[in-house]
Order: sequence, then C-alpha cells, then structure tokens
Amino acid sequence: MTRQKVKMAFIENESSRKATYKKRKSGILKKANELATLCGVPVGVIIDSAYDLSPEVWPSREEMDKVMSQWQRLPVMDRTKKMLNQQSYLQQRISKESETCKKLTKENKELQMKEVMFDCLSGKTSPSRIEKSDLRDCGNVIEQYLKNLNRRIEILSKNDGASSSYVHAAATTSVAMPIVEMGSSSTAFCDMIRQQQIQSSMNQNVRGLDLNQQQW
Amino acid sequence: MVRKSKGRQKIEMVKMKNENNLQVTFSKRRTGLFKKASELCTLCGAEIVVIVFSPGKKVFSFGHPNVDCVIDRFANINPPNPRQHTDMQLSEARRNAIVRDLNNHLTQVTEEFEIEKKRTEDLKQKRKNSNMPENWWEEPIEELNLSQLTEFKCGLEKLRKTVTTEASKNFQAIVPRHNFYGGSSNNSTFGICDDHAGNIDTDLDLYNHQRMVATNTFACNLNNMMVPYHITTPFGNIGNSNIIEGFTPEYNQNPNKLCFKQEHMSECDHHSAHPLRFGHGYY
Repeated sequence: MTRQKVKMAFIENESSRKATYKKRKSGILKKANELATLCGVPVGVIIDSAYDLSPEVWPSREEMDKVMSQWQRLPVMDRTKKMLNQQSYLQQRISKESETCKKLTKENKELQMKEVMFDCLSGKTSPSRIEKSDLRDCGNVIEQYLKNLNRRIEILSKNDGASSSYVHAAATTSVAMPIVEMGSSSTAFCDMIRQQQIQSSMNQNVRGLDLNQQQW
Repeated sequence: MVRKSKGRQKIEMVKMKNENNLQVTFSKRRTGLFKKASELCTLCGAEIVVIVFSPGKKVFSFGHPNVDCVIDRFANINPPNPRQHTDMQLSEARRNAIVRDLNNHLTQVTEEFEIEKKRTEDLKQKRKNSNMPENWWEEPIEELNLSQLTEFKCGLEKLRKTVTTEASKNFQAIVPRHNFYGGSSNNSTFGICDDHAGNIDTDLDLYNHQRMVATNTFACNLNNMMVPYHITTPFGNIGNSNIIEGFTPEYNQNPNKLCFKQEHMSECDHHSAHPLRFGHGYY
C-alpha cells in the first residue's frame, strides 16, 4: 500500500480540492453510517461547502431533526463538555501524540542503554566510552536491572528454603573460579564466565575429586 | 511464520453483540470519524458538524467553524447580517491562521513519532539479528538460576560503580569542590586527588583521606598482601597485581551475605566487615 502522504493543508489547486472534497465527503458519510449501525447510536452529520448547492445532511432531514431535538434537550453543560472545533481538536491530538512519542522515546532509550550495559559486560565497550549524556540513563537502567535481579534472588532463596542451598550453589561455582587480575571491569565479566566454563568442563573430566569440599 | 491475529476482517453491518467490544468500537470509530471531519475541513475548507451519542447517552460533537454556528444556520436561526459578515470574515481569517499552525505542529509531532517507532523497530531487529545471545546473562532473568543471578548481580554492581565514577567525573568538572566520589580515580592510586583541571583539592572528605593514607601506607606491600577476606584458592594468590579482584561469589566467612567485591581498598580497611558502600568505586 504505497499511497502518497497527503499534506494537511488547504489544497490550493481548485480541481484537486473539488475532487478531494467529493471523495472525502462520501467517505465520512460511509464511516458515520458504520458507526451508527455497529454501535446502534444516533449520529447526525451536516456538511456544507461552496461545491454544494445546499448542505448535505445525513442520514436525512428527519433523522437529523430527531438528533437535534435530543441535542437541544440536553443541558448546555452536557453539550459543551465534549464539544470540539478544529482548534480544540487539533490541540488535543497534539498533546496526545506528544505524550505517546515521549513515552516511546523513553522506552527506546532504555532499550538502547540495556544494549550498552550488555556490551560493557561482554567487553565490547566500557563505561569510559559511553556518551556523557547517557551515563545517567545507563546508571538508571543498571539500577532497575539490579532491583529485578535482587527481587528474583529473594524469590528463589525463599523457595529454596534454607540458605545452605545457596551456600552449596555458591560454593560449587566459586570452587571452579580462579581469581583473575583485572585492569578494567569491562573485560572482567565475560572473561570470568568463560574461564569458569572452561574450568567446570575441565573439572568434570576429573574423577575422584570431590569438588564440593572446601578444603584443598 | 505464525500470524498472531487474523488481520482486518470484514464485519457485518449490524449492531455488535458484545457490549464491551461495542464500547471500544464506538470509542475508536468516533475518534476516526472526527479525524476525517477535521481533515476535510483543513483540506477543502468545508463547514461541518458531527453529532454523536454514545451508548452511555453522552454526546460528542465536532464542528467547524464551531458546532453551534453550523447548527444555527441549518436550523435557520439568526441569519447573519451584513455587518456581522465582515467581523466573521476577520475572525475566520484569524481562526484559519491558528488552525494552520496547529496542523503544522501536529504534522511535526507525528513525524517525530514515526521516527521513534522506526528506532524501536531497528533496536528490536538488532537484538533479533545478533545470533542467540551468546551470553547467558542476556537471557530473561526468570531463566537464570540462583548462582547465575548472584554472579550477574556482582558483575552488574561493579559495572554500576564504574558508570557512577564516570558520571561523577563529569559532575566534578562542573562542581569541583563537591568531592564526594573522590577525584580522578587514576590519580588516587598515587594518593593525589585532583579534578581534571589539575587542581589538588586538599579539602578531602574522610573517605578519600583514608584512602590516601591507606594507599601510601600499603603501597609497598601490594604484592604480598594477605588479608582476612581474601580467600586462598587452589590457584593461590596471584602475585604481581595491583588490583586483586575476585569476581565470583567467593565463599567468604559469611555464607549468608551475598557476594561483594573484594576491592583493593577494602583489603586495606581490615576493620570493614560490611559490604562495600555504593559510591566507593575504585576505578
């Protein structure tokens, strides 16, 4: 569907304008009809322009009169509460779309910072290379992630019961860990994990060694 | 590829059965109708009024130039007199100018929104394209086991410190006297704390003073330092390192505590039996 985007401004070309008017008018009436039918509600439309001899009234004069009387019966406040004209309508749309856009920008930033965080952990980059303006956002994302981690750890520890199972788990992993010299944190995490994986695969091949003992 | 939903379906032109769906449909379609009406006015300069009653008997209306004006004319109330005509023309011109500006503004915002949406797409695509995350820590948290979580937590806490230190460097450039995090970390190894301008801040806070003293005192013992919290592993202490860092959840004397980094400084503070406080980054 590769329609050309229409510029939202008065169409200068007379014949274009007339053609557009005809098409869009019938489109609006069709939509009004669908709304009224699907939802079973009273709808009234009046459209007037230089191209019409007399104003277009939908669904019909009679129906419109019914809508009008229902309208008149309402107190002024009820009528005006949701009343819109071009100005108020456009302002409403602008603020709504700005809101959504802002939200999306924030989410995108978080997504991006998450990537940066992972890249730091895997050594692809380091905090010193992060854009100054992003440092704070990055910090916040890390904080949030840590919060979730801690919450998860709490849940798991509770479920596991005694802390002894944690110690067991911690011991099992740390036994395989060499303490490695580190010049910068950015290379540490992934290297550590890699070492651990190498180590644990090595250890698996060693029979007869009780890895869970804390003495060596 | 399995489709999540069937896409747009043709629906019957009868009143909807499901009450909730009906309400939602009303909301959406009313919004759409008003949008079309607004566009018609902008593009073709027509006058229009749309009055809609909701299933809950509330009324919504849209009108250009305004609802009452068009209704009055339709009902033939108040035929405009000539003098009013020029006034109306002026206010109409002004009105049109305002609307024009609003339309431009709206177009702008919509464009920005499209850009952001594209960015989301790109970011998500990037994630998909990089082959299955080679690193286990990139998996969802729910899929990690407890030991992984703890390791991850350690790594992340460390990263947080570095990031904070980096951030504080910027902060310092602006406010040199506020020396909470303690200066350029590189220089503090040698006991000198200064901001980037090269000014030595002698007004050190307590922590930095301690660090300076500690660094200077133990400078010669770095290689041979045996400290209570540093565990002797099967691989022994790795000598020749100025920064001895364990990244693992080491088994320390306190099995109930989650791991904390054995940073260089805490080795000097023999009395510190508590996990490192946030902000005392060493990098």
